Amino acid sequence: MTEHLTDRIRDALRVVIDPELGFNIVDLGFVYDIAVTNGEACITMTATTRGCPAAVFLKEGVARAATVPGIRSVNVVMTFEPPWTPAMMTNEARTELGFANSN
Amino acid sequence: MAAGFGFPSADLASPDTLVLVHMVSIGWLSTAMCGALLQFVPVLVSRPLFAENWALPALVLLTAGLIALLCGFLALGGHLPLWLWLLPLGACLLIAGFGLIAADVVLTVQSAKSLDASARFVLVGMASLCVTVALGATFASQLAGYGGAAIDSVLESGVPLHAIAGLGGWLTLTAMGVSYRLLAMFMLSPDVDERQSRVTLFVGALTLCVAVVGGLVAIEAASGLGAVLLWAGVFGLATIALYGRDVIELYRKRKRRQLELNTQMAAYGFLSLLVAAVLGAVLAATGSFAPYAGAFAFLIAFGWLSGLVLAKLHKIVAFLTWLEAYGPVMGRAPMPRVQELVVEARAKKWFGAYFAAVWVATALLLAGEGTLFRVAALAMAVATGGIIHEFVRTRRLTDVAEPLRLPNGVTEPCLLHAR
Repeated sequence: MTEHLTDRIRDALRVVIDPELGFNIVDLGFVYDIAVTNGEACITMTATTRGCPAAVFLKEGVARAATVPGIRSVNVVMTFEPPWTPAMMTNEARTELGFANSN
Repeated sequence: MAAGFGFPSADLASPDTLVLVHMVSIGWLSTAMCGALLQFVPVLVSRPLFAENWALPALVLLTAGLIALLCGFLALGGHLPLWLWLLPLGACLLIAGFGLIAADVVLTVQSAKSLDASARFVLVGMASLCVTVALGATFASQLAGYGGAAIDSVLESGVPLHAIAGLGGWLTLTAMGVSYRLLAMFMLSPDVDERQSRVTLFVGALTLCVAVVGGLVAIEAASGLGAVLLWAGVFGLATIALYGRDVIELYRKRKRRQLELNTQMAAYGFLSLLVAAVLGAVLAATGSFAPYAGAFAFLIAFGWLSGLVLAKLHKIVAFLTWLEAYGPVMGRAPMPRVQELVVEARAKKWFGAYFAAVWVATALLLAGEGTLFRVAALAMAVATGGIIHEFVRTRRLTDVAEPLRLPNGVTEPCLLHAR
């Protein structure tokens, strides 16, 4: 059941796009962890740059999008450890955005 | 310029040219740079701005100060009654406006745990701004007749120091510092090695120290500025070479292979800086810098500084408009990408026309073709108008396709201020 909810949250988060890269944050690898306990979701995520002005909006967007049926509350933790690198993107995102394959 | 007002139709030191120079350096470049710093310094140091509500008073003071200063220059040129008191009044208002910005930036940077290369460049830029404003205020008082004989010699030969501190220190070093972070962010490049960028900054700061401190000492000793300016030129060239190495590394190591328009066009700004450096070196080596100083400063102001600012604004206007319009509803509905707020192919033509016109205008200044220069200046104005029109379309979300343009909860942003 928890795994099902985690997958559902991950799918729902695809509506949140990074405004700079123009791709959803799940396939960009911004979402580090999704944990669900008793209907409470804790999402650990990052952004491309520390201090990025979009980070606040990303965090709020994730909190909104993650409130799927079965989830009562969402806690979003923004972290920059480890720092995001393009290697965290899915192959699809990397190809779509024209990124080099190296780190 | 297109109408034939000021340089090159008038002398470089004439009051009409002073109107032009300060309209561009304060009204356009400095105001744009102050706005960029208020937006960007919090990103550099991961701290909120010390006082967001100082921005509007600073803008009002800078605008009022600039208007008073320009009217003072117009009075000096005989276009207005001889109200020379407007010059020190304008200087006082500019000191207050720039002082608010500098205090806000420095207090914000001071609250950071550690400073990266960009933040250090900004601090040196702030120090240069203070020097520029102090020298400018001295000149303004002197021109209005309040200075006294003691600083006559500063006015007589110190204008190059004011120009170097302003164009070279405040505007160029700050633009360099901000570009380190913007290029890394927009191209997803690894940051330039800290030691490497510190060397660039050290040589840049040394250039300014040599020019300003050495220059003032030389004026006091009545020994002439020749040697000081020569050494400042050598260190300035070294700064540009080191900065060029850093920028090439940022482009070369980028993860984002496809360059967006802003980084493509910024490259033309960097190219303009390189050409200006070579031009300055050749002119100095041949002993002919003075008659062509106007062409050199023109390329720095319009090719390097204005070119870079316009290129980066193409991205920043779209990015901030996106945050303002779509940020609050993110996660509720599908929305456009930042790139969908602009049409790069169309904007590229205007940018191409702008840089071509600037380079042709510089060549015409070097060739002494004043009349043809006015045609090139007109082309610059038209191209700049085209670029501004693109920014207006971005603010109005004109190029965003339906149904993504205005999903529920999204309203069209105001043109000139954020809600």
